[in-house]
Amino acid sequence: MNVATNNDLRCTIALASLHDVLDPEIGLNVVDLGLIYQLNFEEDSRKIFALMTLTTQFCPMGQSIADGVKNNLSACFPGYDVELELVFDPPWNHEMISEEGQNFLNR
Amino acid sequence: MMLAGSDIAKTTTHKVVLPFYIYAALAFVVSAVLLLASSHAFSGHYFQPKILAVTHAMALGWGTMIILGASHQLLPVLTGGKLYSPSLAYLSFIFSGTGIPLLVWAFYIFDMHWPAQYGAVLVNTGVLLYLINVGASIDQSRHGNVHATFIFTAGVWLFITTAVGGFLVFNFTAHILPENSLHYLSLHAHIGIAGWFLLLVIGVGSRLIPMFLISKFNHPGMLWWMYFLINGGLVIFLILFLLPFPSFTYLFPAALVAAALVLFGAYCRHAYRQRIRKQVDGQMKISLLSVLMMIVPMVFLFTIIAVLLLSGASTSLVLAYGFTIFFGWLTALILGMTFKTLPFIVWNKTYHAKAGLGKTPHPKDLFSSRMFNGMAFSYLAGFVCFAVGILAGNTLITQAGAVLLLCSAVLYSGNVFKIFFHKATVK
Repeated sequence: MNVATNNDLRCTIALASLHDVLDPEIGLNVVDLGLIYQLNFEEDSRKIFALMTLTTQFCPMGQSIADGVKNNLSACFPGYDVELELVFDPPWNHEMISEEGQNFLNR
Repeated sequence: MMLAGSDIAKTTTHKVVLPFYIYAALAFVVSAVLLLASSHAFSGHYFQPKILAVTHAMALGWGTMIILGASHQLLPVLTGGKLYSPSLAYLSFIFSGTGIPLLVWAFYIFDMHWPAQYGAVLVNTGVLLYLINVGASIDQSRHGNVHATFIFTAGVWLFITTAVGGFLVFNFTAHILPENSLHYLSLHAHIGIAGWFLLLVIGVGSRLIPMFLISKFNHPGMLWWMYFLINGGLVIFLILFLLPFPSFTYLFPAALVAAALVLFGAYCRHAYRQRIRKQVDGQMKISLLSVLMMIVPMVFLFTIIAVLLLSGASTSLVLAYGFTIFFGWLTALILGMTFKTLPFIVWNKTYHAKAGLGKTPHPKDLFSSRMFNGMAFSYLAGFVCFAVGILAGNTLITQAGAVLLLCSAVLYSGNVFKIFFHKATVK
């Protein structure tokens, strides 16, 4: 799981919190699924920039998952404005799943 | 908060989709009641009022209505665009939903005057509105693909099926066709079964099955082969039917469709073997079983053609063929896929705004797994029992099968209503 960031401490806190956001179909959280690509924090303008993907571009639950990430980050960092961008390049693939995620799926 | 670059599926509102699911669940119960009330008819000829009523309740009220609802939901998933017009979808529901009971009742009492005629016109209007909506949705999206082509072509075949059906209804009283309506029955039935149900199931299933299995497999080339095999088979069947050819020539279009089914089976097998999630839930198991169940009607079809060549038509084989399509393959698929799609639609409606803010139930927690297992068991037992009863010509066995299928329909509907009335719980 390699998440690019400009603030390691805040990123660790954010990723711990994002473990609560699940892909409802798979039942695995967005962090272990490898959906989060980047989390940047701008302290001056109190902004969080999140770059993420989905397992499939036209996932019917895509909007809910993206909203879940935004809601979760907003609750974790009160007063911060969250900007979320969805990208499909590079496309998600199963090798992005963490070891914990792989264990969960192989149960 | 901002969401940039949101090139994701624009979900169709649940208000469009849920009425179709509720309607279909009730139609399944009605169909099972009609089946029980008509069990004795299954030892006679297939062209009987009660059998026509059961077939249309199943094909239109159950199969078509739930597929119309699901395809409104899935169009954005398949095309990456959004549904062209929710209003057209509502109108399609109202017209089809009003026409179907009129048509079924007319068949049951065999009154081919106003109830059947109004029913046929209303169903045709509903289907035409659906087709316009699908065509316009695909046209405005930027991601036309093989799945969208399947769904649109299936809609065209559905409209041809209902238009032919409409002519057959009017032909009972006005004699507008050169032959009587019974003559055209196999034409009407097969363009509906292969053109509408089969094309749509393959087009949508080939997207959903790998998606729900979380599979790496994707092979549009195989899907295009299936598309041309089925449509080629249908066009050849139409030519053979309209320009009378010997019975053995029907083996050719049947073989083309059978080849498409073999390819679809191989497609699903590849998707299954390349799945990332090892555990396969009950809903997917019954959906995958339905793919295997496609073999049963195909075996009956080839047997019917062979028997026709050797000794003339066998009515029990024709009845078993129709039964294994509507109560077999199609019903198994719907039973599985309902509980893969409906919980997510209701979950999205209920928890969309609360996502990520606390522990929400999993979509599978919205229905009772005990009721699902009971439904699956009574369905499989009822299906086998009724099919054996038809072939054995034994009314007692068909009645026992019908009771089990009714239990399955009641459990299915109970679970659908449980999802529908789910109240939000966030911890």
